[in-house]
Amino acid sequence: MSASDIRVYRNKINSTTSMKKIFNAMELIATSRIGKARQRVAASMPYANAITRAVSAVASQQDIEHVLTSEPENPRRAAVLIMSSDRGLAGAYSANILRHAETLIERLSEEGKSADLYLIGRKAQAYFDFRNRSYKKFWTGSTDSPEFDVAKDVGETLVDAFLTDYEEGGVDEIHIVYTEFKSMVRQDPTVVRLLPLEVVEEEVTDASELFPLYDYEPAPEEVLDALLPKYIESRIFSSMLQAAASELANRQRAMSAAGDNAEDLIREYTLLMNNARQASITQELTELIAGADALAES
Amino acid sequence: MTATMNESGSGAKTGAVGRIARITGPVIDAEFPADAMPEIYNALKVQLTLGGQTSTITFEVAQHLGENLVRAIAMQATDGLVRGQEVVDTGQPISVPVGDVVKGHIFNALGDSLDVDIAELDVQERWPIHRQPPNFADLEASTQMMETGIKVIDLLTPYIQGGKIGLFGGAGVGKTVLIQEMITRVARNFGGTSVFAGVGERTREGNDLWVEMDEADVLKDTALVFGQMDEPPGTRLRVALTGLTMAEYFRDVQKQDVLLFIDNIFRFSQAGMEVSTLLGRMPSAVGYQPNLADEMGILQERITSTRGHSITSMQAVYVPADDYTDPAPANVFAHLDATTNLTRDLASRGLYPAVDPLASTSRLLDPQYVGQEHYDVATRVKQILQKNKELQDIIAILGVDELSEEDRVVVGRARKIEQFLSQNTYTAKQFTGVEGSTVPIKDTIEGFKAIADGDLDHIAEQAFYNVGGLDDVEREWAKIQKEG
Repeated sequence: MSASDIRVYRNKINSTTSMKKIFNAMELIATSRIGKARQRVAASMPYANAITRAVSAVASQQDIEHVLTSEPENPRRAAVLIMSSDRGLAGAYSANILRHAETLIERLSEEGKSADLYLIGRKAQAYFDFRNRSYKKFWTGSTDSPEFDVAKDVGETLVDAFLTDYEEGGVDEIHIVYTEFKSMVRQDPTVVRLLPLEVVEEEVTDASELFPLYDYEPAPEEVLDALLPKYIESRIFSSMLQAAASELANRQRAMSAAGDNAEDLIREYTLLMNNARQASITQELTELIAGADALAES
Repeated sequence: MTATMNESGSGAKTGAVGRIARITGPVIDAEFPADAMPEIYNALKVQLTLGGQTSTITFEVAQHLGENLVRAIAMQATDGLVRGQEVVDTGQPISVPVGDVVKGHIFNALGDSLDVDIAELDVQERWPIHRQPPNFADLEASTQMMETGIKVIDLLTPYIQGGKIGLFGGAGVGKTVLIQEMITRVARNFGGTSVFAGVGERTREGNDLWVEMDEADVLKDTALVFGQMDEPPGTRLRVALTGLTMAEYFRDVQKQDVLLFIDNIFRFSQAGMEVSTLLGRMPSAVGYQPNLADEMGILQERITSTRGHSITSMQAVYVPADDYTDPAPANVFAHLDATTNLTRDLASRGLYPAVDPLASTSRLLDPQYVGQEHYDVATRVKQILQKNKELQDIIAILGVDELSEEDRVVVGRARKIEQFLSQNTYTAKQFTGVEGSTVPIKDTIEGFKAIADGDLDHIAEQAFYNVGGLDDVEREWAKIQKEG
């Protein structure tokens, strides 16, 4: 133990203290923004629910033949949209999403489908760049407060790819990987197949849930043509909003934990520094006293 | 001091008789006739009758105080001595038996055998324990690597044939186990003679060593010298010299290659500290003797290889409170060719041998001695571990997920390297139940190169724990996959 040790510990304590301040600030920012993000999720729900209902109503028509709803006979390529975050300091948020994405890609390749990647967020971009794996397109800059324009662009890009033939580089399926915001303490990475539409034939118990038998003018297919892009955009936008809320919740939690860890570290370093200081005091004292004694004896 | 370093000692004043004037623990003052003052380093003897038993206590002259007084350090306990008792000057320094006769036996610092009566031994020649270091012109710096089969040592702190090797470590991090491992690995396949000097360590360990060497049938080529922790400081201060003198004889007279093990050289400095104040020296930094560096230098300068005949020495060095800046261990560093630092951090994680890959060094780790590939791999391993160490604070605060992609790969490889640096050893079999392994240096380099290149990124980190070469890793990995 020496004076240099004390200096080293003091430096570490200082830098950890300023890091702790940053973490606290980040936590507060995340906390203040998460309320708004949740409101946006809530606000998007009525429209998303209504359009899902409308699409389901059309798609549940028995005799419908539409490219967006029919299962291709031999799917060979799938688009995977991965929603990660732009910035770090959100704990394992992006790592979890990417892990789920990897599992999905693996499953698709086992089923004989190759995956075209569409990425949202710099973290996902960096992940695939680092591994030299190609992706089709990426969007960055607004993962913690998504804009509808971006969702619209993403939706159009994906629907275009879906409507293109396989030979020309089109895809047969669209999957999205995002984090579902369940509550402040629980956000689950989720994989959803967007297209082809899965027409869920549920047992409907509540009479109000039953789809009325509409007549479509001019034809159900044309109604679907008009509805589906809006449906896709709304689904993507709602996922982005949920992902944003999840990102903020993750960040808040991560920053709070980091603040605690920093505090532990400061405590540990303080203990070591005190130790070192006390040791050097004791050493100086013994040297002084022993020296004085030796001089007194002679 | 230098004037008395002559090898013969002066026989002229043998038998001069003095009287004890003062007793302070292990140090006495004795008065001699003015014309028969014993020289410094001369051995003095006192006959002591205590409870009907007569024993001889030996002292070594350390200082001339003036007014016909000498100050001397006791080699045995001074209980029962009284002022005025007769002291006889032997006229020469403490001398110990040398030659083939010492092989297979245990001695104390005074050269008395402990396993058999000294009279049963056919002692032809005795050498005084204080001798001159070899001449500058006779020294020879070897650059021949000594392969130990321990990965971390061969890769990062390659040992030198005929070199001086230090094993540094705090209490209970495995110094003694490692030095015994070295005895197992090196001494057993070694043609020459080995000398083991136990300085101020546990008697039990000495006994274990004796029994083990007997079982391994290497005792006939080994001399053991012990002055353990229950002995007075005088003994602990001289026992290393006793062992060294025996080794020097094998080197200089019998022209052999010699292995010298010293466990633990710190106790030598510690013993010096215990008597220093009693000798009237003013304590220096951390209470050590002011001539700490000088004392160590006189010992270390003699442990060296001369033209064609080598002493390869391995010295365990205790590091008080894990503080490498402590003057005693810090003083030993400069004398060594290779230093292996053991760290508590690794030992507490169960990674043995707990060699600190960043702090340990060797003079031999240079492309012109070990080859470019070895050097490059060692440097890369150190780089990765250094980077990992820098990232530890971030990981502690933010978690591993916050690291950039590049850093995460580095951390992953660093963890594998740390595990792969651990190894199953022969001596540790009694603790782990796993048989030891010897890894050729070629395999070691290949293994670490593969990890650093990322060829083994797919293998889980557990597969690298406590194994020998890459074959073992693959076997472990197959086992883990089958179970998982």
